[in-house]
Parts: sequence; structure tokens; C-alpha cells
Amino acid sequence: MRTTFFSKKTESASLLLGDAVYTVLDTELTGLDMKKDSIVSIGAVRMKGTRIDIGNSFYRLIHPAGRMDHKNILIHGITPSEVEEEPVVDAVLDDLSAFCGNSVIVGHFVSLDINFINRELKRTGRAKLKNAAVDTCKIYEWIKSSEGAFSRHYSARQDELDLFSLAREYNITFNEGHNALGDAFITAQLFQRFLYALPGLGVNSIRDLLKTGKA
Amino acid sequence: MILEEAISFLQKNPPYQFLDGPVLKEIAHSLSMEFYPKDTVILKQDGPPSDAVRIIKKGSVKILVRAEGGMDSVMDFRGEGDSFGFVSMVAKDRQKTTVVAADDTICYILERDKILKLIETAPVIAEYFMSHLTRYVDRTFEEMKGRSLAYSGTDRLLFTTPSGDIAKEVITVPEETTLQEAAKVMAGHRISSLIVVNRNHVPAGIITDRDLRRVVANARNVADPVKDIMSISLIRVDASDSCFEAVLKMIKYNIHHMIVIKEGELKGIITNHDLMLLQGTSPLSFVNDIEKQQTIEDLVPVTSKMNTIIGLLLQESTKAGSITGIITEINDRLLKKVIEIAERKFGPPPVPYCFIVYGSEGRREQTFRTDQDNAIIYADTSAEGEEEAEKYFSVLSAFIKNSLVQIGFSSCKADYMASNPKWRKALKQWKDYFDNWITQPTPEAVLKSLIFFDMRPVHGKFSLCEELRSFYTPLIVKNKIFLANMASIIVKNTPPIGFLKSFVVEKSGEHKNEFDLKLKGIMPLNDIIRLFALENGMRLTSTLDRIGALKTGQSAVREYHNEIVHVFEFIMMLRMHYQFEQIKEGHSPDNFINPDKLSNLEKKTLREAFHLISRLQGIVVEMYKPLIV
Repeated sequence: MRTTFFSKKTESASLLLGDAVYTVLDTELTGLDMKKDSIVSIGAVRMKGTRIDIGNSFYRLIHPAGRMDHKNILIHGITPSEVEEEPVVDAVLDDLSAFCGNSVIVGHFVSLDINFINRELKRTGRAKLKNAAVDTCKIYEWIKSSEGAFSRHYSARQDELDLFSLAREYNITFNEGHNALGDAFITAQLFQRFLYALPGLGVNSIRDLLKTGKA
Repeated sequence: MILEEAISFLQKNPPYQFLDGPVLKEIAHSLSMEFYPKDTVILKQDGPPSDAVRIIKKGSVKILVRAEGGMDSVMDFRGEGDSFGFVSMVAKDRQKTTVVAADDTICYILERDKILKLIETAPVIAEYFMSHLTRYVDRTFEEMKGRSLAYSGTDRLLFTTPSGDIAKEVITVPEETTLQEAAKVMAGHRISSLIVVNRNHVPAGIITDRDLRRVVANARNVADPVKDIMSISLIRVDASDSCFEAVLKMIKYNIHHMIVIKEGELKGIITNHDLMLLQGTSPLSFVNDIEKQQTIEDLVPVTSKMNTIIGLLLQESTKAGSITGIITEINDRLLKKVIEIAERKFGPPPVPYCFIVYGSEGRREQTFRTDQDNAIIYADTSAEGEEEAEKYFSVLSAFIKNSLVQIGFSSCKADYMASNPKWRKALKQWKDYFDNWITQPTPEAVLKSLIFFDMRPVHGKFSLCEELRSFYTPLIVKNKIFLANMASIIVKNTPPIGFLKSFVVEKSGEHKNEFDLKLKGIMPLNDIIRLFALENGMRLTSTLDRIGALKTGQSAVREYHNEIVHVFEFIMMLRMHYQFEQIKEGHSPDNFINPDKLSNLEKKTLREAFHLISRLQGIVVEMYKPLIV
């Protein structure tokens, strides 16, 4: 167990940003409570270096274990009847683990997604995801504070750190509807822009990247 | 959904749109998506061949070619739906052009093996890319050939030679050197000027042949130190500035020697003579020709040479701003000469006055023969004084108008000339005019007043013009309703995007309509930039100057600065070339462009230009939406 842990991380740690393989991931949840809520859908996009693979993405709806909250139905637009027919989370997990492989996982507030996924993996007796993981929100804040060292104009308001606000700031076109794959795609484009900004700020390898935005 | 987006994109763009559904889907599946921040060099000339075809999803790229001389020139723009990188990818040869992201750009990447397979299996793709290939290569060679001619026809040319390259080594003498010693040094080195330096070895002045002639003429003591007679104002030019800029300055300040500064240090000196050697028909000699004339009749043959001069400039220059700069300088000279002759004829004015020009003259953007747009502002005086002034200026302005017509400047159809009593007034009356326009704007009044905001003094007491400007500049900043009226006029003049776009796509000659390049291209840009300049309280009148000054402040200009300059230069250049062709064919120049006569490259760039104008108009709408009528 420990060996995998290290080999996975050290293997990728020395890679340059442009040579690494990334899985940009997002989940839709019934809520934020780790005890009660569950995953409704998982979306993931593959990036090889700065390139986003168009044909190699991952999207599964999951029959949730917990009940679905009205509020969340409004947000992600997935109704209970829609997911009724979908496989339960177990069946999706192996596919997801395979898709992640030993890539670097990227996501917006991705700890939350990983925690939910790992809870399910653990519950079903599977190995947790141990991939190196970075949070685009943290990278964003890091970039802003590094640039701030020169300009000092920046102070982020918490409410401006959501994915759509950042997408707007970086001129990424998107449709407002929440969907795990759509959001993962937006996150990937955001991360793509970061990958261009980071080398200029001294971040060249995955090891450097983890220092700025480890999830 | 990512895949669907790619598929619907391919369905809209040739040649992919001709593919069957399953093939299209397979292609979409194999794509990857890359982002290039603005100014990223995506492919580099002489670099390794491209690994893929890149299809622009969003943004645009510039294609540059470096000619023998080492200068990069833009030969093409590619926009959404266009591809690049095919040639070197297929040929596996080193890259022949440099491709740079002109905006933040997103590309779909179709890798080499995928496209090669596609070419084998789908004839429609092969056909498209192959014809594209030959056309593209042909054009590259054409362009290169054209350029090498332009750059190597003569060894050194006015516009491309940095003045540092022809600067001669400077001989310096200390301030205390006597006139006689200085003359000896000059004779010994066979040079026509010396730079006088102070104790710290900093250039303090210049002494030239001309100065020494005066010494002799005035029988001055040759033992006097040079510092007594040297010219102190040292007009300088940077070593990296072109010789053309040096010529402009010489014309402007009427000097024949100019020092060249490189990285803050004295690099050398260039003379009128050196520049004349570069250029057979020198604009400078042309100006001297004007200066020598004493009557309107004598000016006529001189001005008839004007178009030849512009033609020569056009053949060499790549910058419209430089050409219009020189035309304006020459036209100013002509105008001043005419006024000088008029004043000699009718005697000195009863009150100080300022002869102003506006419109394209005011913006220093004149091309071939243009209309007269001028006015007179005279100093405030008593009621009797005004009567007397009116009498004098009505005669003077009528003479000026007729003289200008005689030497080739047609009179203004809308009668915006000093010969119209409405446009020759005392300063206080002018202030009332502006006050009225600005504080009680009506769309018609604003429309009529716009050109006055580009006014520039040419002759007489310049302070009158500047006082008027100081009066209205802050007034505008305060009157948002006036600015909103301007904005609403601006956004109504929409560029013919649809027309040109369909034209670019349609290769059949269906659209044979002409369009007015001045009305649809130059005017909207001038108007938008004027609006931005006025709302920022700027006093500048030339569009390029305004853009330059707005670069650091106004956000839209900051964001699109390079594009705006490029587009403006391009449209001006297109207009001048077009008019020159008309003149050569014996027609009188106008602004009506027949798109059939444009090259594909020109059409494409024009389309980009219209898009930019449209984008800027969108920004204007956003800014003034609540106020626009």
C-alpha cells in the first residue's frame, strides 16, 4: 500500500507540467454532508500536458444511496427518476479508478470530490485514489498572490472563487447548466490557462505544482 | 458534450463539413484542444515542421514571414474556423512561416497521422488541402518576391533604414573653440557641421556651414568662441527611427542637420544631403520647391507633382501613418504659403487670428487630394473691431478658398470653410458654438460638430486655437449627455460584416456592389477613438496619437491596442493604394472600393477590421447604454 503511494507520487513529481497526464474531475453530489449525502454523477476530462483530449472523457450518472434533496435537483438538474435506472456507485468505481490511472487529479475544490469518491471506494473494499491531486482554486489564489507580490492590488472575495466566476475572469465560454462533465471541461480549460501562467512564476514540475495547489 | 461541441464546430467549417456523420465523429474524437495566450509563438519560421493541423476554435493568429532583410511582416490573419500548419506538416519540411496568437486563441488539434489517413480516405479533404497548399505556397512566394523587390531595389531606403545606419561619425569641439578653428576642423574633415560639447562632453549645440556663412556675411570676429553662434536647439532622432522620421523632423523644423542618439549617447549626425542620396525625389526638396514660390500660379505646377511623390512613398512604405504624416506636412506648407501670399496681398490682419484646419487635415490623416476643412478664429475685440475683422477676413478667406481650389484642394461641399461667415468668428463666438453643441446636444448638431473636435492650428496665433480647446475639453468631460449623443451616432454606423463575410466565402461574383471605405472603415474608427479621447479630456487630434495616449488608460484601447493600430493602418493603406490606382488610370480618386478588386488577403483583413470595429462599437454601447438615445 505504502509503496504504491510513494511510487505514484514520486513517479509523477519530477515530470514537467507539459509532460504530465491529468484527470480533470468533477462530481455532482446530493449535498455536502459526508455522512448523509452521495454522488449523483462523475465527470472527468483527460489532459496530456496542456492539451485537452476531446474524445477521451468520462461521464457516469449514479443511482444515489441517499435521498435527493430538492435544492440540489434545482442545481444540477438531475431528477431522482433520471438516476433510478443508472448503476449504483460500485459499478462506476472501477471504471473511474482505471480512468484516473496514475495521472495527476485536478479539480475545483477537488478535495471534496475525492473525499466522497474515496468514501465509496473504502465502503466497497476498494483501494482509495492516491493520486497526486491539485485544486484549481488554490492554484488560482497562489497565482494571484504571486502576481500580487508585484502589484498588491489583489484581495479575493470568497464569493468570487467559484468555478463560473473564474471561468468568466479567464474568458472561458460555458453554458450555465451544472453537469459534472461540463464543469470538468470548464475546470480543464481553466487549468490549461494556469499551465501557461505557472512557468513564468517558477512552477515547472508537478512537484512545484503540488506546492502551490495541493488538494 | 465536449465531443458534441467539437462535432457541431466541424459541421460548420470547411472542409470537415463535407464529411459523413460517422467520419466526422471519428475525427472529432481524435481531436485535442489547446489554448494559446495572446502573443504565443505557435510555430516558428525555420523551426521544426508542424506536428498537426490546428483549427482555430476561438481567437485568431497572425502569419508572419521574415524576408531576407530580417524583418517580419504580417502576411495573413486567420480567424475562427481557419486552419494552419498544414504545409510544413505534410512536407515534413522546416516551418516556412511564423504563426503567432493575435488574441487568446483556442485551437482544435488534428494530428498528423489522423489527417494523413483522412486525406487518403476522404477525397474531399485531400482536394481541399491540396488546393489550399498550392495556393498558399504560391502566395508565399509572391509575397516574398514582392517584398524582396521592395527591400532590395535600392541598397538603402528611406523607410526601412534606421537613421543610425547612415549617421556619420560626429566631430565634436569644446564650446570655447574659436570660429576659425572650427572652420578649419570642418574643412579638414570635409564635413558641413560640428557638434559643440560642454565641459561634461554633453552636446550643447551645433554649428553648420550655414552658421559660418553668416559669420562671414556679418564680418564677425573669427576669434569668437563657437558657443556664441551655435544653434542651441538640437533636434534629435533616435538611431532606431527610420530615415523617414528624420526627414519628417527636418521638414518640420526646417533644418538640415540632425544628431542621432543611440541609447542616450551621441551616435552621429545625419544631414539632408545624406537623406537626399537615399531618395531621388525627396519630399524635402519638394517642400523647398514650395517655399520658393511667390504666387498662386507658380504653386500649381509644384502641387501637380504631389501625386507622384505620394506614389513613390506608397511603393516603399509599409506605414500609412508615415505617409499621411508627410502629406499633411506638405499640405500644411502649401496652405501656409497660400495664406502668406494672401496676407501680402491684403495687408496685415486688423486683429490677431488663427487659421485652423479640422477633419482629416486636423487629424493629420490626409491622403490624396482632399476637401478643404478650415476656419478662422480671431481675437475678441469690440463691436466695431468685429465689423472691421469681418470685412478683412471675408476677403482674405475668399481668396484663400479660391487659391486652394486652383492648386487642387476642392472646396467643401458642406461649406465648412473660413469663407463661410459662420466659420470665421471671434473667439468668444466660437466658445458659444462649442458651449451650445456640448451643453444642449441634439443628434444633428453633434453630428455636424464632430469634425471640429479634430481642429489644429496651422497659421497665425496658435494660442487662440488652444484657448478654445482648453475651453471645451473640460466641458465635454462634464457633459455625459453630449458624449452619449456621440456614442449613439457612432453605433449607428455599423460595418458591413455580413456583406464581406459572404463575399469572402462566396467566390462567385454575385456581390458586385461597392462600399465606401471611408464611411464604413475609417470614420467609425475615428469616431470611436475621438469619443474615448474626449471623454478622457485629451487634447490630441490625430487618431494614431490618440490611440497611443489611450493605450495606458482606456480599457478597450488597452486591450485591443495593437489590433486597432493595425486595422487603422491597414484601412488607410488600402485606401491610398486604391486611390493611387484610380489616379494612374486617369480617374479622380474616391473611397468606393469594389471588393472584386481586392486580394483575398485584403478581403480577409478587411473582414477582421470590420469585426474589430463592431467589437469596439459593442464596448461603446456597453459604456453608454443607459444614456444612449
